[in-house]
Amino acid sequence: MPEIGRFLARVNWPGFATIVVGFLLWELLLRAGLAQYQNLPPPSAIADGLVEITRNGELVADALHTLRVVLIGWATAVVIGVAAGLILGVSATLRDYSLASIEVLRPMPGIAFAPVALLLFGFSLQMELMVVILPALWPVLVNTMGAVAGVHARLFDVGRTFRLSGAATLRKIMLPAALPGVLVGARLSMTLALVLAVVAEMVGNPAGLGYAVVREQQAMRPDLVFAYVVAIGAMGVALNAALTGAVARLFPAAAGRVREAA
Amino acid sequence: MNGAGPGRSTQAEPDLVFSCRDASVEFARRDGPRRVLDRISLELRRSEFLTVVGPSGTGKTTLLRLLGGLTPSTQGAVHVNGRPIDGPPAGVVIVFQDYSHALLQWRTVGRNVAFGLEGKLPRDAIDARVQDALRLVRLEAHKDDHPWQLSGGMQQRVQIARALALRPAVLLMDEPFGALDAMTKAALQDELLRLRDATGSSIVFVTHDIEEAVYLGDRVAVITGAPGRIGRTVAVDLPKPRDQIVTRELPRFLELRHLLHQAIGQSEHA
Repeated sequence: MPEIGRFLARVNWPGFATIVVGFLLWELLLRAGLAQYQNLPPPSAIADGLVEITRNGELVADALHTLRVVLIGWATAVVIGVAAGLILGVSATLRDYSLASIEVLRPMPGIAFAPVALLLFGFSLQMELMVVILPALWPVLVNTMGAVAGVHARLFDVGRTFRLSGAATLRKIMLPAALPGVLVGARLSMTLALVLAVVAEMVGNPAGLGYAVVREQQAMRPDLVFAYVVAIGAMGVALNAALTGAVARLFPAAAGRVREAA
Repeated sequence: MNGAGPGRSTQAEPDLVFSCRDASVEFARRDGPRRVLDRISLELRRSEFLTVVGPSGTGKTTLLRLLGGLTPSTQGAVHVNGRPIDGPPAGVVIVFQDYSHALLQWRTVGRNVAFGLEGKLPRDAIDARVQDALRLVRLEAHKDDHPWQLSGGMQQRVQIARALALRPAVLLMDEPFGALDAMTKAALQDELLRLRDATGSSIVFVTHDIEEAVYLGDRVAVITGAPGRIGRTVAVDLPKPRDQIVTRELPRFLELRHLLHQAIGQSEHA
């Protein structure tokens, strides 16, 4: 089984050991009574909680809802962000007009829009998507804009001396040259989208993993609260790994530059 | 200092590739227009190797961009094959000095060389041309490498192969060997002369290296001053094929070198 061997060789064993020791300490401190918090469950109880919510199907249902919000929101943010970033990257005039607005809107904590989204859309998927899309837009837009504006002028000279059409210049020079920047933005935006979806579910739409955390907290089940937190973390790791893997497969030349930048 | 321009009519001559008549280029600056090239008169004939030599800051690159259709003239006329230049002409390709910026770093060597042919030829014809061009610059073994995996001299050869794959009538070369070490430079000079003989392309080669200009050129044009003017043009009556050792030791080579040094020096102090 060479594949398992390769996988085992890639695992960061010292890093893994740190995590295991951390959990063991946590478990031992609570069991020995050295640390006592009424609502802090030991890792074993959290593991039992994970088994419970997996068995009764709640975890899968909640995770699927959150995953759907993250993917739709992220994809929308990427499409809008890349399109707007391309236009702003190409046109210095448009950049002059819109950069001030972007710099005002971009640092706004996106979650502040949650009450507005609630007013507009009520407890709904649309409300969640609005909370996700608005802030997740900026990393894509700003990185795409910067990458396009940063394409070396010589490459456009090359396009002209080879008499490329405008469309061919966009497709063969601008997009590939800007691709690493676009991918960095898309990756930042993915992380942000998960955080925003969870918060939107906590304060707004009662569905998904974010709401599940609040629900179990109100039900006085700290073991399940932590179990859902673990599930959210696992989803973040999985999404990041999936995106990194897809980039490495689809754009091998750009993958190295993305890993360095992100 | 503009006495070098020949006085005959130029329009109808069939073997005339480029002709500039009193062409000037000005760039708009905050403090008004700045003249970079001043009343340039210059001709390039079919299969001719014209070198343009001058110190930096004399508008050499602008002259090449003018001929390549990347920068328009503000006064005077520039004709290619008898027609006024209006954007980059077909069959004329520029080889840039900064190869690392001019190559598409995300493409392999082979796909860089194919760049100018895509959509113009069927795929197998492109493959054949890429193969030919890579053989001409002796890079067949590096077809699947990426440019950043190659040395500077090899990258510049990729750029030359990319231009050659188009089978251009004219190559415009902007100090292509300026950033390379002396040994690589000498090897590429000989390679370029060999390529010219093999392809019959006309070449305008801009450089600040007087010896390089004499060694490569059939004719050397001196460009001096800011704004740049063509001073004198010297025919290089050295035997061919040129040889890095023999040619450079010929008394005539040293005379030409002397002459060009003087021509540049005099204009600088005039």
